[in-house]
Amino acid sequence: MTDARALADVSPIDLEAVSSRPMAVLSVRQLMWRKFRRNRLAMFGLVVLIIMYGLAALAGFVAPYGVRQTHAEFPRTAPTVIHFVDADGKFHWQPFVYGMTRAMDPKTFTLASKEDTSARYPIQLFIHGTPYNILGVLNSDVHLFGVEAPGKLFLLGTDTTGRDLFSRILYGSQVSLTVGLFGVVLALVIGASVGIVSGYYGGWLDEIVQRIIEMTLAFPQIPLWLALATLVPPTWSSVQVYFAISIVLSVLTWGALARQVRAMVLSLKTSDFVRAASYANASPVRIMYRHLLPSTLSHILVIATLTIPSMIIGETALSFLGLGIRAPMTSWGVLLNEAQSVQVILQLPWLLSPAAFVVLTIISFNFVGDGMRDAADPFSR
Amino acid sequence: MIRYIGKRLALMVPTLILIMAVGFGIMQLPATDFVDQYVLKQAAIGNTGMMDQAKNLKAEFGLDRPAPERFVLWVSNFVKGDFGISFSDLRPVGAVIMERLPATLAVSFLAFLLSWGVGIPLGVYSATHQYSAGDIGLTIFAFVGVGMPDFLLAIVLLVVAFAATGHVFLGLSSPEFVNQPWTLAKILDFLSYAWLSVIAVAFTGTALIMRVTRNNMLEELGKNYVVTLRAKGLPERVIIWKHVFRNALHPLVSIFGQVLAFLINGFAITSIVLNLPTIQTIYLQATLRQDVFLASTILVMIAFTVVVGNLISDVLLAWIDPRIRYD
Repeated sequence: MTDARALADVSPIDLEAVSSRPMAVLSVRQLMWRKFRRNRLAMFGLVVLIIMYGLAALAGFVAPYGVRQTHAEFPRTAPTVIHFVDADGKFHWQPFVYGMTRAMDPKTFTLASKEDTSARYPIQLFIHGTPYNILGVLNSDVHLFGVEAPGKLFLLGTDTTGRDLFSRILYGSQVSLTVGLFGVVLALVIGASVGIVSGYYGGWLDEIVQRIIEMTLAFPQIPLWLALATLVPPTWSSVQVYFAISIVLSVLTWGALARQVRAMVLSLKTSDFVRAASYANASPVRIMYRHLLPSTLSHILVIATLTIPSMIIGETALSFLGLGIRAPMTSWGVLLNEAQSVQVILQLPWLLSPAAFVVLTIISFNFVGDGMRDAADPFSR
Repeated sequence: MIRYIGKRLALMVPTLILIMAVGFGIMQLPATDFVDQYVLKQAAIGNTGMMDQAKNLKAEFGLDRPAPERFVLWVSNFVKGDFGISFSDLRPVGAVIMERLPATLAVSFLAFLLSWGVGIPLGVYSATHQYSAGDIGLTIFAFVGVGMPDFLLAIVLLVVAFAATGHVFLGLSSPEFVNQPWTLAKILDFLSYAWLSVIAVAFTGTALIMRVTRNNMLEELGKNYVVTLRAKGLPERVIIWKHVFRNALHPLVSIFGQVLAFLINGFAITSIVLNLPTIQTIYLQATLRQDVFLASTILVMIAFTVVVGNLISDVLLAWIDPRIRYD
């Protein structure tokens, strides 16, 4: 693939055009972006992630209902069907939903929701509904879409207590998508500082740090996460639990990062610009902070991006087992926790839909990370 | 080479002791211990008499002594093969683990075989048929495999299997075989159950191996010696398997340890979800109950597997690639 494309890129150069045109100079950053942009999978991942984080930030606006809003009359309701053609066979440009009635099924004696074709509720944009707050600054009650009050719009159905799953997934993404970020930032700060210091000073300090890192790498990750997560006291508030879980997730990750940063620092240490800085009497702290850190930064970011997926899986797994994020806070793992038994899933298969969000996010992070890894060295082919 | 292995083995000892210390230390962090928890639980069901016995119980379990002293005692017994007793079972930890070891090893081994046995051929196929429909399908499979947490896959498989057969494949054998000795019938029954857990556990590893094989094969296939071999008129089968594949094998050996870690990680939560009779399932229970010796011993055993896996991976790499030098 690379060969064919490289051949296609090398078109005969029109020397006159080149010399008459003002020379365009691209910075390394621009070169990286060009290379990244050419990777279609990476761009796909980036777009998905931007949408995901956008939805998380604007959860209140996009979600038709509030995170704890229960529709007591409609527990265990299947996703609402969106219609274009009404019962009389008439086509409507504006999609609509029918009202729902609950009735006892005469055969199974269970309550089931039925569409009531007499009441038609068109789906409207910018409709007033449950008040919400965006990022702690903006208060509003305008929702991106929804239906008029007696009608219900459950895009992904409701859970056992009648809460709209789609809205809860959006609110849950606020936790699931950030708990890993926070953990990665922690791991980055620890890993990068340890790696740079250990690589720069070398000697016995490096030797000891390397042995410690080797030990952390030998630790079985998930079992240790389980053990640490059980330590979080049940009396802690949601916010405390949130930060505790992200600390747990970063406990082992910094080691791998420190190791890679150290390897880069070892090769950079003898390069001319570092020597020049030290001959100019720059202090070790300045050399590490102003010269070594920026040179390793692109690499650090790549590792960070590739680490986030494992943290998201970690949070999902811990919450799924009831050891991570706890109610009233919501995350994708917490939502999946309801879908633990086969019987429940067979009756309410839509409860598994948070899994699709988990998988899509993780795949996107992997795509973006791979693309960044290739782009981090824009001079290679 | 022998010196290198010796050095690595020597380094394993402090690593494992540190892991023991951390595993043990984590259990000491909460203010309560196993006996406090037990007494509280008994009191909750109305058995307040246990409160008076708490002190005796603690003395019996040695919980009245300071933690460092208990740790040293545990480690010195550990070396002699005595792993302590499980508080909740009142049996030696060794016996509790041995009971679950066959199933644990069987599923891990099968999953390990499956991930390599399926991952490598698929990766080779993917590389030799680049951009064909099969390759694209396998690529999608690999990305989903890496993105899908194993325990979610386990649930999906469970539901699909139920919908297809009307049978819930929880655990590792039919109810009537649970406490039976290992006879041929039980082994057959085990296999009819285990496939689900094995697939769930092996999925991520298979996807990873497939991707790495594909990338290595593609890199090797682009080299000049392949052109030479083709020009000599060698059959494609010989070129792929005898020449290209052998050269593409090195990076695969180096991810040996990583795949092992994947399996262990995936296995931990999948076991709990599928309620498999493995050591990972009792590990979680033991951690929750602060059953110190049981939990720490299992943690050390798992860590030991990872450490040995990494060692094997490095030694194998040096063995198949003489260019690698260790000092």
